[in-house]
Amino acid sequence: MDAAAELLAAALRIATPLLFAALGGILSERAGVFAVGLEGMMLAGAFSGLIATHALGHAGLGLIASVVGGALLAVVVAFATVRCYADQMVTGLAVNILALGLTSFLFRGLFARGEAPTIRVTPLTQIPIPVLGDIPVVGPLLFRQPVLTYVGLVLVFVMLVTLQRTRAGLILRATGENPTATFASGADPVHVRFVAVIGAGALAGLGGAVLSLQQVGTFTDGMTNGRGYLALAAIIVGRWSPPGALVSCLLFGATDALQLRIQGLRLPFSSYVIQMLPYVVSLAVLAGLGRGARLPAAIGMPFFREPR
Amino acid sequence: MRPILAVALALALTALLIVAAGKNPLLAYAALGRGALGSWDRIGVALNKATPYVLTGVGVTLCFRARVINIGGEGQIALGGLAATWIALTFPQAPPIVLPLLALAAGALTGAAWAALAAAIRLHRGVHEVLVTLLLNFVGVLIVSEALQGTLGEPGAGFPQSPLLPRASWLPRVLPGSDLHGGILIAVVAVVLAHVLLWRMPFGFRLRVLGASAPAAVYAGISPSRTFFGVMSLAGALAGLAGAVEVLGVHYRLIDGFSHGFGFNAVAIALLGALNPITVLPAGLFFGFLETGALAMQRAVGVPSPLVAVIQGLTMIFILSAMGLSARRSRV
Repeated sequence: MDAAAELLAAALRIATPLLFAALGGILSERAGVFAVGLEGMMLAGAFSGLIATHALGHAGLGLIASVVGGALLAVVVAFATVRCYADQMVTGLAVNILALGLTSFLFRGLFARGEAPTIRVTPLTQIPIPVLGDIPVVGPLLFRQPVLTYVGLVLVFVMLVTLQRTRAGLILRATGENPTATFASGADPVHVRFVAVIGAGALAGLGGAVLSLQQVGTFTDGMTNGRGYLALAAIIVGRWSPPGALVSCLLFGATDALQLRIQGLRLPFSSYVIQMLPYVVSLAVLAGLGRGARLPAAIGMPFFREPR
Repeated sequence: MRPILAVALALALTALLIVAAGKNPLLAYAALGRGALGSWDRIGVALNKATPYVLTGVGVTLCFRARVINIGGEGQIALGGLAATWIALTFPQAPPIVLPLLALAAGALTGAAWAALAAAIRLHRGVHEVLVTLLLNFVGVLIVSEALQGTLGEPGAGFPQSPLLPRASWLPRVLPGSDLHGGILIAVVAVVLAHVLLWRMPFGFRLRVLGASAPAAVYAGISPSRTFFGVMSLAGALAGLAGAVEVLGVHYRLIDGFSHGFGFNAVAIALLGALNPITVLPAGLFFGFLETGALAMQRAVGVPSPLVAVIQGLTMIFILSAMGLSARRSRV
């Protein structure tokens, strides 16, 4: 495989956990709830997925557990922000701290030790798709991937269609734009936001499972290491659309892959400058869009059922 | 009252976790208390830990009072530490009293500049400050890594860190028999000044009006953008100062990732301190004592120390929910 294809394959690999989290974040933000808690939801998913796989000896059950783990943390977010009108951004930060503490604590506590245990499970294997997988260059890149990578790519399409072409998607987007009007039309924004945030947690949990079950096969404290925040940036750069998020996740994956590969080269700066790219690009895109950045209009605003 | 209830509730919930882990929560909390307060040495360590939290938390408090959600503490702290390191390494011959003051000032200025950059992007390009400060955090921390990889790094250290700073730049110890350094005094002064600023000075009044209602602020002739820029820069200066204090008082060198989690903890402390500079001091001390006691608790009774982050996270969520609910009530 030539270098370019290898780079692309690495980009896709790095992008996959981000993609799940970003898709989840789009659900939440299009419904009007900032998704700052993605980092914690990913971590919860990575943890619960690994523990369940280890305890039950079945990767499928592990994946279900990662969905449940992410969703449970999302219930906390949904309850605080939607029911108690807590500030969405800071609540997101709070659950990230909570998730970091809780997963690290349970990881040690469950095994009754002060030190972090080492638990290894077999990472999910690649599933080559017959015929397509044999196409030169593109084949190995797209059609010889572990299962969650396929799921992520399919989800981009599913989410796009759901958001833009179904009644449920319309109600979700309307809730993020004008919850009062949505309420008047008969849907309950509180209900919609609850479902959207919990959906975000489920997807971000799967993103965590990509890390712990598909890529590494183990859990370490804080293993998401800022990926949730990067996914948040990918949502913005992708302008709250699923295909846009896919492209920006791949872009971030490519910079990361590039960064690893140029470390050996003699450059006037170290790889850290390349690592800054995703954040600087996000800022530049945001600043470039300026006031034209079309955030969902009611994002960050609490919705009160009764008139004020 | 609300913060105390939130802490009590968080402690009660985490006690259940300790029980689930098969340990006695009372013994665990007792060990935590001993580890944090058991000797002058422990108290010194805890106060040192609390110092950057209090400094940064006071800045976040002022921001939140004006409804400016500045979560850029981590990057501002990192760059403040970087600037202080650069001054200390570049002017090692400077007189002992001048050098730390110069380094502290450089830290504060750099933190202020980084926050001012975020404010400028917010004001001129209309990007929400949460996103700007969050993204700039990553960039700031990476700038420190880059500097440690290059000119400021210690050759052959095997870890990204700067050489030891000249002794003349170190903050003096203030409590015999402990590592407590002068930073805590700086933090106390900052708390008092912020209190006076917020409640007794025109700028503080402008902050509070802006936070209560932006249209009212405009009607009263207050410029929201100037107030925004001012409070962000001030918070950045405090965070940068915190970074400089951490470098000059605790590590005596710049270490990669030294600011990790500080910025978010500062947000938690501002909330726990009920957005009041004076009460941010006990809130910051509480966090400092929690984190210092945690390792002792782990050693003594085998309860894992990350429990502290659970307490911190839960406390924040309770306070935020209570704030949301009471804002709702006052709105009706």
